[in-house]
Amino acid sequence: MSASLELGRGVEWIHECYSEPTGHLHVSVYLVRAPGGDILVDSGSFYHRDSLHSRIESATDGRGPRALILSHSDYPHSGNIPTFREEWGDFEIVASVASPEIQGLPYARRARIGESLDVLGRRFTFLDPPLADRSHTTWIYDEEGKTLFVADGFGTIHPPGHCDSWWGDLPLEGRTEGVLEFHDQTLRWLIYVDPDRLMTALRDIFARHPAEVVAPIHGPPIARADLEAYLDDLESGVRTIVSTHAAMTTEEE
Amino acid sequence: MDWTESPRVRNLSRMKTHREIFPGIHWIQECGPNRQGIADAVVATGAEWCPAGVALHVPQNAYLLTGERTLLFDTLSPAAGEIVLAGLESVLGDRPLDFVAISHTDVPHAANVSRILRRYPACQLVAPAAGETHPLYHLADATLVGPGDEIDLGGLRVTFPEATFLDAALHTWMTEETTRSLFTVDWLGFPHMEGECLQCVDELPGEIDVSRLEAFHSRVMFWFQYVDVDTVRRATDALARRYAGYSLLPSHGLPIREDPERYYELMNEVVANVAASGRTGVL
Repeated sequence: MSASLELGRGVEWIHECYSEPTGHLHVSVYLVRAPGGDILVDSGSFYHRDSLHSRIESATDGRGPRALILSHSDYPHSGNIPTFREEWGDFEIVASVASPEIQGLPYARRARIGESLDVLGRRFTFLDPPLADRSHTTWIYDEEGKTLFVADGFGTIHPPGHCDSWWGDLPLEGRTEGVLEFHDQTLRWLIYVDPDRLMTALRDIFARHPAEVVAPIHGPPIARADLEAYLDDLESGVRTIVSTHAAMTTEEE
Repeated sequence: MDWTESPRVRNLSRMKTHREIFPGIHWIQECGPNRQGIADAVVATGAEWCPAGVALHVPQNAYLLTGERTLLFDTLSPAAGEIVLAGLESVLGDRPLDFVAISHTDVPHAANVSRILRRYPACQLVAPAAGETHPLYHLADATLVGPGDEIDLGGLRVTFPEATFLDAALHTWMTEETTRSLFTVDWLGFPHMEGECLQCVDELPGEIDVSRLEAFHSRVMFWFQYVDVDTVRRATDALARRYAGYSLLPSHGLPIREDPERYYELMNEVVANVAASGRTGVL
């Protein structure tokens, strides 16, 4: 397995998988090549620490990252920050949390949602994510590479043996169900949503921030050509989550 | 050096950061920093409860239950390790902590588990059964609990109902049945002002209104902006029926010991408002 997979425009995917009963869940990080050095997007889980460390070290010729942009301070995303900073020096942490000390990131530079920041010479815009679990989550739009890094939405439970496939290259059989299963198990609040409102908000983001690649932490990358198919699967999944909950609630009443 | 010898911990032991709110239920509060941005935004709305210039806190709460056995529910943020350890020391003295239960793995709730387990090595870690990714949170060896599970503490009895309103999937609420208390975790949070720290709602001079609840939920329950309001109302009303008469003990607000029924209806208004107007910020 190579240290990282090229996604184009200076973005590389370093993926790890967590095995669940019905398939694999990605717990990834991304590497962005910036003029001032390499930027990690998220730190991955301590569950994959040794492997991630080795692959990041290899991908950066031993230098490690010069900065890290955090989607949110959930342990599978932020759990390796202290260790990586011990290993590679106190590189800059950019995070959207409003109270960094409460999230255990007292040294973080704040990224305000709705604003843009220059990180090591590359410009990122921080977006309010319609699909997330923690309230301080941000989606991160790489203006130069037109890559949208997303957590926790846009994941897919994928079959073993397809861990380094793009979403569009996953086997069609079970792919739609993988999108449904990920969101059903991860974003439990989807049982309450109005699917039209949610999908309108998502499509509005892609209209304002056209993405050549959508780069989820918990799923394979989605190429622009496959985005509509993914959104169709996502909408179908959300409608199933909502209707299943409604049926169960009616039965209980 | 043993942590109890730290001058900072000794000072915290003397500071008022915990109190007993029901027999055997001790509340340990981390007020956190002054949330000036939220205060300014609230003042700009003209909300009467928040005068200009006042310091505003969005707390983290942990609850220590002391029956014949003892259980801590949630552990505060990384910034408050000494507060929770000092609270435990002050209440328990030489007694052991038998269980530390986490509502969910959010950093401000679960951050001090390791420190607490080092201090009380025989303590049993209890975590939500809901969710699929426990090893990603060092919870592979925890005792997992969910609906139908009960821990008898001897004099107090806790259960673990499904979290009706939540953020992360790996999540549980808790009840204590002898006092009829429902621990609602991230739901029913609200900021409090300087002078209101460590007070229960029934001890405040005024009432908690919709705008105060909205100041919290429009930031934390950001997904309210996408909901079908009637679906949420049905869930809230079902909760009100199921837990009629239960006190409401949130993780990010002051304990509600009196007139809890009122708050379910207030929350229905909050949801309708956020669905109509969107989120107001980030916490």
